[in-house]
Amino acid sequence: MNQRDLELLSSYLDGQLKPSDSARLEARLSSDPNLRAVMDDLREARSLLRRMPSRKAPRNFTLTRKMVGQNPPMPRAYPAFRFVTSLATLLLFFTLGLNFVAPQLASQAPAYGQGGGGGDPEIFAAEVPATEASAATEAPAAPSAELVPLPTATLLAEDSGRIAETPAEKNGLSDESDEFAQSDAAQAQNAVPFVPSAWQIALAGIALIGVLLMLVMRQLAINRWRQK
Amino acid sequence: MNEEALIHDAQAGSLDAFNALVLHYQDTVFNTALRILGDEDLASDATQEAFLSAFRSIASFRGGSFKAWLMRTVTNACYDELRRQKRRPSVPLEPETDDGEEMDSPRWLADPNMSPEQKAEADEVEHAIQHCLNNLPVEFKTVVIMADIQGMDYSEVAIAVRAPLGTIKSRLARARLRLRECLQGFSELLPATFRLEEGTST
Repeated sequence: MNQRDLELLSSYLDGQLKPSDSARLEARLSSDPNLRAVMDDLREARSLLRRMPSRKAPRNFTLTRKMVGQNPPMPRAYPAFRFVTSLATLLLFFTLGLNFVAPQLASQAPAYGQGGGGGDPEIFAAEVPATEASAATEAPAAPSAELVPLPTATLLAEDSGRIAETPAEKNGLSDESDEFAQSDAAQAQNAVPFVPSAWQIALAGIALIGVLLMLVMRQLAINRWRQK
Repeated sequence: MNEEALIHDAQAGSLDAFNALVLHYQDTVFNTALRILGDEDLASDATQEAFLSAFRSIASFRGGSFKAWLMRTVTNACYDELRRQKRRPSVPLEPETDDGEEMDSPRWLADPNMSPEQKAEADEVEHAIQHCLNNLPVEFKTVVIMADIQGMDYSEVAIAVRAPLGTIKSRLARARLRLRECLQGFSELLPATFRLEEGTST
């Protein structure tokens, strides 16, 4: 069976041959049993395929707006609201960040001073003239008694104590330590209760209202879009 | 269903109009994908992908048979899936000889050494036909599925597979012959009415 005859037979089955070609093929079929056998094979295959049961789709394949990446058209004011809300949120976090970072920076500055004074008191004390020793021995008692609850004050008290053990002490050193301890205590007391400024309250209000308005605008737009 | 109006609206971006077309054609598209891929899950994925792709490119539809245009989309989705399978093969798509060459005829299916599991799987006419379809080259398979299972005419199939009419006729004839040869291996499974079927040549 050549390819040409095979195509002729297949097209004949589908009624795709010209009447003249059909007549010629029918004449050959009546005289050629091999051609008839192939014709029967093709017809049988075609018939089986046409009787294949058609399956129903297992689910609906309808597309959602999310699948096709469609978004509802937003009002013209929406981008402006988005910009203002974003800006207010950004500024709010910036000011809150400043509130958080500023006390830490302020407390770190005197800490360097403390390190210089308290890190190696023996060396410092060795340079102190022996004549001032009596004044120095009285000095540490005051800060250590005052600032027991604060860790920085405890350190200062320890340092001062160690200084007090030395035979010579400069009176000015204990005064300086006392000042640092007092300023630390004041900062620590100030840092505990956070009171937002008027600006921060205003920014938080703008951000909150902006977000709420945007949500409402979005929902309204989606509802309008669904009704179309 | 006013198909033309729905297509027009879908081209203007109406998803609802397109979904009406989806509901009308989803059985046809799914069946085509199922017969090409031979697996329901893969066919579902290909069907969904085809409709998504069709929506994105519906502006390029320039009239004519929408079914043929849709069939082209699902055919492409199926070919993509088959390419993915080829990169991660689990079972050979074509029977091979001991020398590693493809068999010319899929008569291997009549092999008496076929395992009971394989026999059981091919225990129904539908499974037998699907089995034979799976062993056809994909370009033959696509044409015979569209022409004989979906009942599309030659010109629609030509549009769907982007091939000339002569090629469609040739592929269809060879596909039918190869299927007949393959199905002889399942002759005991085929109902007598099918074996003695007298075609209605027109």
